[in-house]
Amino acid sequence: MTTLVVAGPAGISEHDGGPYHPEQQSRLFAVMDGVRALELEDEVAYPAIREASLDELSRVHSSAYLAELEAFCARGGGDIDPDTYARPDSWTAARRAAGAGLVALTELERRGDGIAFVPVRPPGHHATADRAMGFCLVNNVAVAAASRTAVGERVLIVDWDVHHGNGTQAIFWDDPDVLYVSTHQHPLFPGTGRPDEVGGPGAPGLTLNMPLPPGATGDVVRAAIDEVARGTIEDFRPDWVLVSCGFDAHQADPLGELELSGGDFAELARVVQEFAPGPGRLALFLEGGYNQLSLASSVEATLGALLGVQGHRPATTSGGPGLGQLRADDTARLHAIDRVHMEVGP
Amino acid sequence: MRAPVTIAVGYDGSPDAGSAVAWAARVAVALGARLHVVHAVGLLEHAGLAGHAGVDGDVAVRIAVEAGIDPGDVEWSVVDGDPCSALLRMAESPEPATMLVVGSRGSGAHAGTLIGSTSLELAEHARVPVTIVPSSHRSD
Repeated sequence: MTTLVVAGPAGISEHDGGPYHPEQQSRLFAVMDGVRALELEDEVAYPAIREASLDELSRVHSSAYLAELEAFCARGGGDIDPDTYARPDSWTAARRAAGAGLVALTELERRGDGIAFVPVRPPGHHATADRAMGFCLVNNVAVAAASRTAVGERVLIVDWDVHHGNGTQAIFWDDPDVLYVSTHQHPLFPGTGRPDEVGGPGAPGLTLNMPLPPGATGDVVRAAIDEVARGTIEDFRPDWVLVSCGFDAHQADPLGELELSGGDFAELARVVQEFAPGPGRLALFLEGGYNQLSLASSVEATLGALLGVQGHRPATTSGGPGLGQLRADDTARLHAIDRVHMEVGP
Repeated sequence: MRAPVTIAVGYDGSPDAGSAVAWAARVAVALGARLHVVHAVGLLEHAGLAGHAGVDGDVAVRIAVEAGIDPGDVEWSVVDGDPCSALLRMAESPEPATMLVVGSRGSGAHAGTLIGSTSLELAEHARVPVTIVPSSHRSD
């Protein structure tokens, strides 16, 4: 059986937002309950994690932002915006969260096999090059992706969190070595992720947004990735597949209104697994997910599906809105790509 | 014909935001501009976890009208996003705002730091003029 590489948990005793903030430490207990429920015994590895270095972080964040964040935490932290906070230990927590992703990819490469799961907090996909927001301080999946593009490899990032990963999109907007594919509820925070956001002149079409209406079910999200995005992904031919693996599209999550079940995440994972070019090239990074019961069951179902383990697998969902919109948006996306090409010129 | 001028002002329900709305309304009257009052809804507020009952747009519009602007020249919008990003998008929309206005200390600001200060982040990133209305400013 394929080994599960668990690079974490990181953030289980740091970056404490208090009992009323949904992005709290106990999320990681729920996530690890989901891992343990798989009863993997010797088929799970826990590599030692480390802090990402400033050089590694600086591939995606400005030096000025990193210095500000470190100083802000050193002064005691506080509320960064109505959603996002930092504590004195948050700088270290953020560096460990980003470092865990780097360790995960290194371990997969060393083994030449396995699937990595990176259960860390604070999450990352809203953090831009120079701004913290949406509970996120450092963009963990972006730091990991940039570590591979730095050595000439191509990275697919699939983001199925209920919120659009505005930070990841912005960081790789004009990067021809990263394909960013997102399904997300729209309208919803952060307000970005329209289908006509397709990437910059250096990477037209390498940002692929598939916004979904509230109430969308698993079959719609699956169609988005398996049908709408498949051609673009296969043409891109990634060397690595990284997943911004939020579980807040679950029907029980308090922060979104999509209607997915744990079984739907399992099906999505199996589709995404097909895009990996070979063994040891798929890593899932925890992003959102704030109902702890559904978080545990979704982790179990998702990882179980990837590993071929018979575990508890909730039924998939179907019949929600959004399929028609997906097809209409595909046309809008193609027109937007044409516009970018025309702006660039021959 | 000249394009209409629009001033966008952020409003989070704080007293400083109210002062900013009043200041922006008076400037809009002086310039013959429209006023767009914007409230950004974040992750917590969307989920009803923000620890307050919500921000009342009627209050914001009333502040603007009391500052002298015609009610027909005031628009209230609730948009998804963090406060800084939401205001920045107002300057990039199909009818972009030509000036952004914000109070110096909203509900979560930290004096003198870029991180944690919507006003300073806005000034750092905006491509149109930004006015930061100081917390000592009063509308009367």
